[in-house]
Amino acid sequence: MVRRERGFTMLEIVVVLAIFGAFLWIVVVLTADMRAWQKRMPVNFMTHPQISAVVSRLRRDVQDAVRPYYRDSYSTYTMSDKTLIIYTLQAAGTAETVVWDFSTDGEVSRHAFTDVAGQTSVWTARGTPTFKITDFPIADHPDSVRIQAFDKDGKLAIDQIYQPRAH
Amino acid sequence: MKRQRGFSLIEVLAALLVLALVITTTMAMFVERQKRMQTANETILAYQAIANEIEVRRRIPYSDLESASPTFVTLSGDTDILAPLKPYAATVTVAPPQNYIKTVTLSVRWRGGQRVERVMITRVDTGGGGLW
Repeated sequence: MVRRERGFTMLEIVVVLAIFGAFLWIVVVLTADMRAWQKRMPVNFMTHPQISAVVSRLRRDVQDAVRPYYRDSYSTYTMSDKTLIIYTLQAAGTAETVVWDFSTDGEVSRHAFTDVAGQTSVWTARGTPTFKITDFPIADHPDSVRIQAFDKDGKLAIDQIYQPRAH
Repeated sequence: MKRQRGFSLIEVLAALLVLALVITTTMAMFVERQKRMQTANETILAYQAIANEIEVRRRIPYSDLESASPTFVTLSGDTDILAPLKPYAATVTVAPPQNYIKTVTLSVRWRGGQRVERVMITRVDTGGGGLW
């Protein structure tokens, strides 16, 4: 008796699909933990290096600050929770006023001036969380500043306290 | 003579096995990469909290170090940088002074103690008064 096969039987297809389905289910289960954990995290620093760049340049500027450290206003800028004006001393011995402008959401720009008329450099980082500046008084050292940044969902991504260093 | 049209069940299963292996390997690589990125991001958050706390602990007078809060004073409720690491433990311990030096250890533990980041700072007895 010659048995002629054309295609698969229903049973065969069901078995094959069941095996594949079970495999996919295992993959989903294994990655569920990871996805849940990731949801809790704010900005991914590994994929957004510009955010780390903002943080380290800002820290450096505050550390380089010399008395009176901050200024109430400079050029067209006024100190606020979105604008930080720092009076710094550069390694070359020249004084520079640095304005950190956080007023545009998702963007941070740093303006450096040697005098009010002369802006020496502008640097802008895009795709950043929303920054906010607050005072953070530390005993015997009231010139500390706290920089916080929140992601789109309002989760705190950056929280750093800086102090001018002793010169 | 046996005439075959299409594949046999064994052939399809073998093909699926190969496909499954390829997908599993790719997924494993992807998951591993995500895990490492996750750990790196968590470490960044932990270090932000530790660095902030260091700024405060450097300013506390030498004689008051032991009586200061044993947890991080820079962490505050709704704006807590370590929130994604919950449940975590952030502690500050001060070792007994030796040769006018106290070692302050700041540590953050999370993932049930599997991950620990720790920074030690040394404070020197300058005979009162801040360094600045």
